[in-house]
Amino acid sequence: MRSNRMGWGLLTPTLVILALVGFLPFIYVLYVGFFNWNAFSNQLGMQWAGVNNYRRLVFDGDFLDSLWRTGLFAFVSVGAELALGFLLAQTLVKSFPGRTIFRTIYVLPLVMAPIAVGATWRLLTIPGFGPIPYYLDKWFGIDFRLATYADQAFATVILMDIWHWTPFVTLTLLAGLTALPKEPLEQAQVDGANRWQVFRHLTIPMMMPVLLTVIFIRLMDALRIVDEVFMLTSGGPGTATQFIGIHIYRVVVPKTDFGYGSAMSLLVLYFTIVLCWLLFIALSQVGKQRE
Amino acid sequence: MKTSSFRKVLGWIGLYGLWIFMSLVTILPIYWMIVVSARSRVELFDRPTLLIKSFYAPNYIGPLTDPVFQRYLVNSIVIATSNALLVTILALLATYALSRWRLPGSENIFFWTITQRMAPPAAFVLPLFLIFTRIFKIGNWTMFDTHIGLILLYCVFNLPFAVWLMKGIMDGIPIELDEAAFVDGATRWTVLIRVVAPLVAPGLAITFILSWIFAWNEYLFAANLTSVEARTITTGLAEFVSVTGTNWGEMAAVATVAILPALIFLVFVQRYIVTGLTFGAVKE
Amino acid sequence: MLQRKMVVLIGIMVLFSMILSACTTVAPAAPAAPAAEGGEASWWRTAAQSANCEGVTIRGVSESTPPSNFAKEVLGPAFEAETGIKVELETTSWDQMYSKAINDMQANTGIYDFVYIEQDIIYSYLANNYLTNMTKLIADNPNLASPDFDLSKFTSFIDNFKDANGDVFGIPMEAFIKVYLYRMDLFNDPAIQEAFKAQYGYDLAPATTHQQYQDIADFFTQYGADNGLELWGTTVQGNTGHSSSFYEFFETIAPSFGVYNWGINMDNWKATVENGGEMNSDKAKEALAFWVGLLADAPPEATASTWDEVAASFAAGRAAQGWVYGENAAWIATNPEKSKVVGNVGVALPPVSDGVMADAESGAGYIGYYDGGAFGLPVSSKNPLCTLLWMQYIGQESVQADWAVAGSRIVMESTYDDPKVQEVNAKTDNYYTLMREEGPLFRGAPPFPFHAAMVNTVQPFIWKALSGEITPEDALDQAAAAADAELVNLGYGQ
Repeated sequence: MRSNRMGWGLLTPTLVILALVGFLPFIYVLYVGFFNWNAFSNQLGMQWAGVNNYRRLVFDGDFLDSLWRTGLFAFVSVGAELALGFLLAQTLVKSFPGRTIFRTIYVLPLVMAPIAVGATWRLLTIPGFGPIPYYLDKWFGIDFRLATYADQAFATVILMDIWHWTPFVTLTLLAGLTALPKEPLEQAQVDGANRWQVFRHLTIPMMMPVLLTVIFIRLMDALRIVDEVFMLTSGGPGTATQFIGIHIYRVVVPKTDFGYGSAMSLLVLYFTIVLCWLLFIALSQVGKQRE
Repeated sequence: MKTSSFRKVLGWIGLYGLWIFMSLVTILPIYWMIVVSARSRVELFDRPTLLIKSFYAPNYIGPLTDPVFQRYLVNSIVIATSNALLVTILALLATYALSRWRLPGSENIFFWTITQRMAPPAAFVLPLFLIFTRIFKIGNWTMFDTHIGLILLYCVFNLPFAVWLMKGIMDGIPIELDEAAFVDGATRWTVLIRVVAPLVAPGLAITFILSWIFAWNEYLFAANLTSVEARTITTGLAEFVSVTGTNWGEMAAVATVAILPALIFLVFVQRYIVTGLTFGAVKE
Repeated sequence: MLQRKMVVLIGIMVLFSMILSACTTVAPAAPAAPAAEGGEASWWRTAAQSANCEGVTIRGVSESTPPSNFAKEVLGPAFEAETGIKVELETTSWDQMYSKAINDMQANTGIYDFVYIEQDIIYSYLANNYLTNMTKLIADNPNLASPDFDLSKFTSFIDNFKDANGDVFGIPMEAFIKVYLYRMDLFNDPAIQEAFKAQYGYDLAPATTHQQYQDIADFFTQYGADNGLELWGTTVQGNTGHSSSFYEFFETIAPSFGVYNWGINMDNWKATVENGGEMNSDKAKEALAFWVGLLADAPPEATASTWDEVAASFAAGRAAQGWVYGENAAWIATNPEKSKVVGNVGVALPPVSDGVMADAESGAGYIGYYDGGAFGLPVSSKNPLCTLLWMQYIGQESVQADWAVAGSRIVMESTYDDPKVQEVNAKTDNYYTLMREEGPLFRGAPPFPFHAAMVNTVQPFIWKALSGEITPEDALDQAAAAADAELVNLGYGQ
C-alpha cells in the first residue's frame, strides 16, 4: 500500500490552519468559562469559579427567555421556508420560458451580506420614510412601528429571514427533485394513485435525505442569527427579538462579562448539537418507516 | 378537450403570476435601497415614493472619494480573493488526500469543524482578539488588524464547507485514472495537477466563488479584529447606522456598493452558483 | 468553453487583487514635513526631535462626531507638519470605539496611544488603572512641557478627569450640555400664542415646569394633526434597543424630577427604596411615567431614536420642542444643508420640579446632563512621550476657537470670548452663553466604575416601559431589584 505520509502531508496545511484559528479559540472559551472575569468588576482579573457560571445560567431568566425566543423564531422560520420552498421548487422542475430569469432574480438575496439584508429591511420599515409603514397606514390604517410593537418586530424578523433564505431551500429541494428517478412516480400514476398520494408516499420519503440536510443547515444558521436582526431591530423593542446570538454578544462586549459569556456560548453550542442530532435521528426514523 | 386546455391556460397564468409576484417581492427591498441612495438628506422625510425622480450623486461620491472608504473597499477585495484562493487550493489538496487514502480519525476532525459553524460567533471575539494580539506576534508586529489575520480566520468557516463540496466531486473521479497515470510514469503531484485538477475544475470554480462571497459578506469578526488598516466594507456599513444614523442616503449608497460584486457574480455565473449551493446537499 | 471563461475571470480577479494588495502594503511615504523656514525650529519640532519622535506614528480611537473629525482632519495633519509625528485617528461607532479601547487596554496590547474617554467611563478606566497620570508625566518631562499648554485654562469640566489627588488623567476635547430646544417660529407666532392662551390660560413660553412641558407638547401635537403638518409636540430619545433611552431617562429626565445618580445610594450601593436607594422611588416613577407618556406627543420614529435621530427629527421640523445634545444644537440652528429649521431654534434651561433648581444651585443635585469627553493616554501605549506632545497640541488655547466653531464644543474659558465663537453664539440663541453661565447647574454622569455593566442591566426594563410591555412603575421596581443584584455580583455592597 502507498504510505499514508503523502496523504497526511496534503491534509496538513488545512489542519494546521484550523487548529490555530479554530481549535485554539475554542479551548480558550472552554477555559474562560470556568472563571469569573468581568472587566469592570470590583475584583480585577480572573477568579476561579468552577461550574458556578453554568449554575447561574440555569437560573438566568433572561438567558432562558432568549433561548425560547430563538427556538420559536427558528421553528417558525424554517418551517415556513420549507413549505414555501418546496412549493416553489415543484414549479421550477419543468423548464418553461423565463425560468432562468425568474430563478436568477429569486436567488439575489442569498448572495447579499446579512448585514446588508438587515440594512435593506431597516430602510423599508423606518417610520417616517419607509414605504411599509406609510402604505400600511394609508391603505389599512395599521400603525406599523417596529420599535414599539414587539409582535410586529418578531413577525418582521421572520419575514426577513424567509425573504433571505427561502431561495436556498428552493434550490436545494429543486436539485433533489430533479435527481429523483422518474419510474416509481410514473408507475404509481399508472397504478391509479392521485397526485397527493404520490407526493405523500413516494416523493417525500425519496426526498428525505435532501430534506434532512436542508433542515439541518437552516436550523443551525437560524439559531445563530445575529447580523441581520441586530441591524433591523437591535434586539428590540426591549428584548423582543434579542435572540441568543445577540444576547451573548451583549454579555461579552458591552457588559464585558467574559467568563459568563463563554460559559453561555458553550452551553448554547451543546444545545444546538443535541437538537440537530435529535432532529436527525427522528426524521431518519420517519423516513425509514415510510419505506 | 376544451376544459383540459382551459385548465392548462389557468395553470400557466398561475405559474407566471406566482413567479412575477415572487420576483417583485424579492426585488422590492433592494430596489428601495437604491431609491434611498438616490435621495438627499432633506428629501428623505418627504412622502415615500417608489420613483427615482432625481439622482443625488453626493451620496455615492462622498463615500467613493473618501480615502478611508476606498481602503475598506480594497481591503474587502484583497481579503475575499486571497481567502477564496487559499481555501480552494487547500480544499483541493485535502479532498484529494481524503479521497485517495484511508486516514484514520479524519471523519471526526471534520465533524468537529462543522460544529465550529454551529457555535454562536460572539464568544470567539475576545479569544481571537487575545490570540491575534498576544500569541501571533513577532516583535512589534501582531496579527491584529492585518489582512492575513482575516484571511486565515475565514478559513475556519470556508474550509469545512469547501471540503464538503469538493469531496463528493473528488470521489466521483475514478481512481483508475490515477492508476493509469502511474503506469505511464507520473508522480503523485503530476497526477493531482495534470489529471485530477482539470477534471474537478468546475467544482473548484464553485468553491472559489462561494468562498469569495462568504468572505466578502462577513461582518462580526471583521469589525472586531481590525482597526484602521484592514477594515472591510461590511464593517463600514454597520458603522454608518450607529453614528450617522441620520444619513440614510449615504448608508444606502454604501450598502448598494457592498452588494454589487456578489450581484455581478450571480448574474454571470448563476448556473454554477446554484449548482454549488446545492451540490453538497444533494450528493450526500 | 464556459470553463475556460471562468478560469480567465478568476485569473483576472486574482491578478487584480494581488496588484491591489501590493499597492496597499507599500505605505505611501508620509509627506516630508517642510523644514522650518529661517533658522529657528519651532518648539514643537525641537521637542519631537529630543524625544526621538520624528517619523513615529501614533494611533487613537474615538467616536465619529464633528469634534473628533476636526481633530482627525485638521489638527492631525497640522501636528504632523509641525513635528513630523503622524497621527492616525480612527473614528468609528460609539459601541465599537469602546469595545476596541477596552480590549486593548485590558489586554495591554498597546495598539492605541490615545483613546477617547467619555466623561461617564472615566471612573471605570481609573478603577482599572488603564490611564497614565498626565500631570505626573508632564512634571517628569519638563523638556517636553509646551509653553502653550496650561492645565489651569480649562473649564471646570477637567475636574471630571482628575483623581483624588487632583492629578489629570485626560485632556478635555469636547464638552456640551444637553439643552432644551424649542421652535422660536412656532412659539412667537401670534395666532398660535392666542390659541394656546385660550386653551391653557397662560402665555406660551419655553416650559419651566413639567406640567407646562406636557401642555405645550399636547398642544402642538394637536396643532400638527389639525393642520395636516408633520409636526409633533416633543422629541423623545426612546430607542427600545439602544442605550440612548437609558441615558435620556437617567441623565436628563430623572434629575429634573430630583432623582440624582441614577437613584443609586453611594453609601451602601443600593438602588431599591427598601434598601435606601431611589431608583424606584415615587419621584422616579413619576419621572418615567411622564417621559413614557410623552411618546403620545412624539413623532413615530421616537421609539427608534438615539441622539442622532432626535437631532434629525428636530432638524426636519418634526418637533416643537425637545431635549437635544449641545453638539447638535449648533448645526441644527445654522446648517441649511442638514436642517430645515435654521434660524428658528431657541435654547433654554430644561423644565424642572420644585426644589430641583435649589438643589442644583447648592450643589446637592443638578438639572441636567453636562456631557463631553477627553483624550487619555493608556498605560499600555508604546509611544507615551510622542503622544504627550499631541495631547498638549490639542490642548493649546490657539486651536480651541476653530474647533469650537466646527464641533460646537468648548473646554476652555477663553474660547467663550473669541469673536468667531461669539458669532456662532448669536446664531444659536446664545447657547454658549447659557453653557457658560448655567453650565454649573448641569452635571456629568455619577462616578461609577461599573457604569457600563449597570447600564446594560437596567436598560432592558426602560425599553420594556417604552414599548408598553410593562408599566413604568413595574419597570422601575424590577430595574432597581436587578440593579441591587448586579451590584452585589460586581462586588459592591452586600
